[in-house]
Amino acid sequence: MTGPEERSLKSLGELPEAIEPPHDLWPGIEARLNAEVAAAATAAPPARVRSGQLRWFAAAAMVASVAVGVWIGRDVVPLSGPAPGTAQVTTPATATPAQEAAAVDAAFVSDPRYARQRAELLQSLQARLDAMPEPARAKVTASLAAIETAKKDLEGALGKDPSNALLQELLINTYQDEMRALTDVHEASDPGRGI
Amino acid sequence: MQPQTQENRIEWEGALVQRAVAGDTRAFERLYREHSGRVYGLCLRMTRDAQLAEDCTQDTFINAWKALKQFETRSSLGTWLHRIAVNVSLGKRRKVTPVLEPQPEDENGTLGGWTFETPVEERELESAIGDLPDGARDALVLHALYGYSHGEAAQMLGIAEGTCKAQLHRARKLLRERLNLEVN
Repeated sequence: MTGPEERSLKSLGELPEAIEPPHDLWPGIEARLNAEVAAAATAAPPARVRSGQLRWFAAAAMVASVAVGVWIGRDVVPLSGPAPGTAQVTTPATATPAQEAAAVDAAFVSDPRYARQRAELLQSLQARLDAMPEPARAKVTASLAAIETAKKDLEGALGKDPSNALLQELLINTYQDEMRALTDVHEASDPGRGI
Repeated sequence: MQPQTQENRIEWEGALVQRAVAGDTRAFERLYREHSGRVYGLCLRMTRDAQLAEDCTQDTFINAWKALKQFETRSSLGTWLHRIAVNVSLGKRRKVTPVLEPQPEDENGTLGGWTFETPVEERELESAIGDLPDGARDALVLHALYGYSHGEAAQMLGIAEGTCKAQLHRARKLLRERLNLEVN
């Protein structure tokens, strides 16, 4: 045992529960996690030709799973947004447009390449949604709406607390999730490509 | 910790867990940063070996990552990680030395609050705990230091509750002798 300070204790309960490791163990853990992920990807069965409908449902499921993650992340951050399950978009009264703009500027979304690619995907989104079977279209639409709500709530919260690192990270993740979802929809409707 | 703060903490942790389950290693890193001290502290006290404790801490978080889908976000992540840490530490330690357990007839009911009539230096106390036999030290660390009940500590260690109480009795007796004072 190393590290305890020289102080007198009157009970065992006064001993510190936490002892910091002598050095950061995360790099080793992260390397092993990445190896696990790579091994899992290698062990995954090869992609098969799927029917068009199956592809659409897979796209919907992926978008839905992303949206659930975003929704949960959005919901538990101390926002003044709506309760879980509601799709209302609210902006805190104290947030000014300038503050929100500053918060968004902190994210990578100010990159013009990102904006251009997103605009292109959004432009073709409706046509691709129209081509989907109804159940898949409903799922994708609901999921994209959840992502949109999460984005606006996070932007509103960042307007109140612009330096909150977790909020910034969640917002960036949400934009990335949206881009991933839009790309999945785009690719799933592209003949000859699956997701 | 205030109840509201604790509630917020569980919610934030729950969100991070959900993101980690979805494959977000940055979220998992946040969980690691939050809990690594308590996990390493437990591993170090159980193994008495800094290098082994580092290995146990790493394995604990790797195992947690693999099993994260099974974690109920309404329960305590800290307790769940401690359960994994105990399993990992016991597993690694058994490869080194067998654990000798006292017979259940040594059992002696509930123990007191583990307070000392005379203050003890922290380093001296850690050293005395480290010198305890494995079984007695495990029970003492989980029950008296980390606050788990006899039943929880016994379940974590894979022993009967009576055996856990016996180990605690033994730990108190040995601590009293080694610190040359009364442990209430």
